[in-house]
Amino acid sequence: MIAQKILRPALLNPFSGNVRMARITIGIADMKVSADPADILTTYCLGSCIGLALYDPVARVGGILHYMLPSDSINPLKGEKNPYMFGSTGIPRLFKACYQLGAEKKRLIIKVAGGGQVLDESGMFNIGKRNYAFLRKILWKNNVMIEAENIGGTMNRTMYLRLSDGQVKVKVSREEMVVL
Amino acid sequence: MKHMDDILASIHDIPPFPQVVVKAMEIISNPNYLVNDLLGVIRLDQSITANILKLCNSAYFGLPRKVSSLKEAVVYLGTVQLRQVLLASGVKDIYDRPDKGYSYFDGELWQHAIACALMAQILFRHLRLPLEENSIFTAALLHDVGKVVLSTYVSREFADIERLVKEENLPFHDAERQVLGFDHAEMGGRLAELWEFPEIISVAIRFHHQPEKAPKPHRLLSELIALSDSLVLMLGCGTSVDGLSYTMPHSLVDKLKLKKNDIEILMLKFQEEMSNAREMIEIRDV
Repeated sequence: MIAQKILRPALLNPFSGNVRMARITIGIADMKVSADPADILTTYCLGSCIGLALYDPVARVGGILHYMLPSDSINPLKGEKNPYMFGSTGIPRLFKACYQLGAEKKRLIIKVAGGGQVLDESGMFNIGKRNYAFLRKILWKNNVMIEAENIGGTMNRTMYLRLSDGQVKVKVSREEMVVL
Repeated sequence: MKHMDDILASIHDIPPFPQVVVKAMEIISNPNYLVNDLLGVIRLDQSITANILKLCNSAYFGLPRKVSSLKEAVVYLGTVQLRQVLLASGVKDIYDRPDKGYSYFDGELWQHAIACALMAQILFRHLRLPLEENSIFTAALLHDVGKVVLSTYVSREFADIERLVKEENLPFHDAERQVLGFDHAEMGGRLAELWEFPEIISVAIRFHHQPEKAPKPHRLLSELIALSDSLVLMLGCGTSVDGLSYTMPHSLVDKLKLKKNDIEILMLKFQEEMSNAREMIEIRDV
């Protein structure tokens, strides 16, 4: 029995399923924004991290932040060096970067994926949960709401944002593709 | 239910440990070995040679400058590091076999293994654990090797395993045991025995999802590999259909009285080193 090599879905367009295309990838502790309708922003490996996608349907501008931990208070120097490691330093930067491309706060559509965790009753390793709670808090303070989300559980996820119309898809643990 | 040894017996091509690596290890075990003898053996295998060069330039080994030829690599690395590079280059070939059950993409299981080795190294240094660095590296690298075999030979049972995980919220390794009678950790431990790795290695692999059950003399290494594995999974490095469906191993955390902050700081440290190494170990963001 010889197993076939699995074609990495990265080579396929997650929205149309067949057209091969280039993508813009956001790594762990990373952020990217775009105003090019041909772009698809993708972030892989969302375990306990959070993928935050913003999109302005009028300006057709959007971005994704992939942060690891809630707050840079555990090590502000690291937050200065790479602000995208933390929600506290990364989230405001994602909003600002979108504004710079012409997005407006009142039009921004916010979608979230990630925040999973390993099975742990003690709560010691609930980084996913805390990452998400931090996001809710900061958004609430700033008077903006999450439009759709796919979070929690023991799943790992990949998140895609299509710049042409703002559609967000989430691939959950290699199987289902969910439209947010 | 298949018995683990039946599966092993029915497999005609249990991934053999690459002979070039075994031979090279033998050569360097002689303190007066000749570099040319070693090079002659390694060069027989192009893929091992390519792996060695990539690994030399990875964050794990952290050499101060880029190494571009095999000879340079051999001369530049100390014996301990050379042993590790050789081992890793052999393990890479095993992990890169095609896979069905777990749905890993090309090279992903290998990336998880090397990420786990890096995390284990960071924990070992920061927590000053009384362990031997070589064993840590070997065990971390090989901990999921059982998945390579399971993936191909029990691919049909995978649907049942996944269903148990989803519907009954069982940890993945428990579901494997319920369906197969053993889990990938046990299978990996058995492979390590077949390949004649020391007992501490096979024990650490076998108990990496239940380190509290590991026999005492080797328990600490099992605990370290278990914790490194979980942290790396949380960071999304090399998760697949099994996702994060594993029980968090608490024994080492409790023993060392680690706090949430300690864990987060270790994760940051890991991420920093990993991002330096990204292109070298072929973490392909694509």
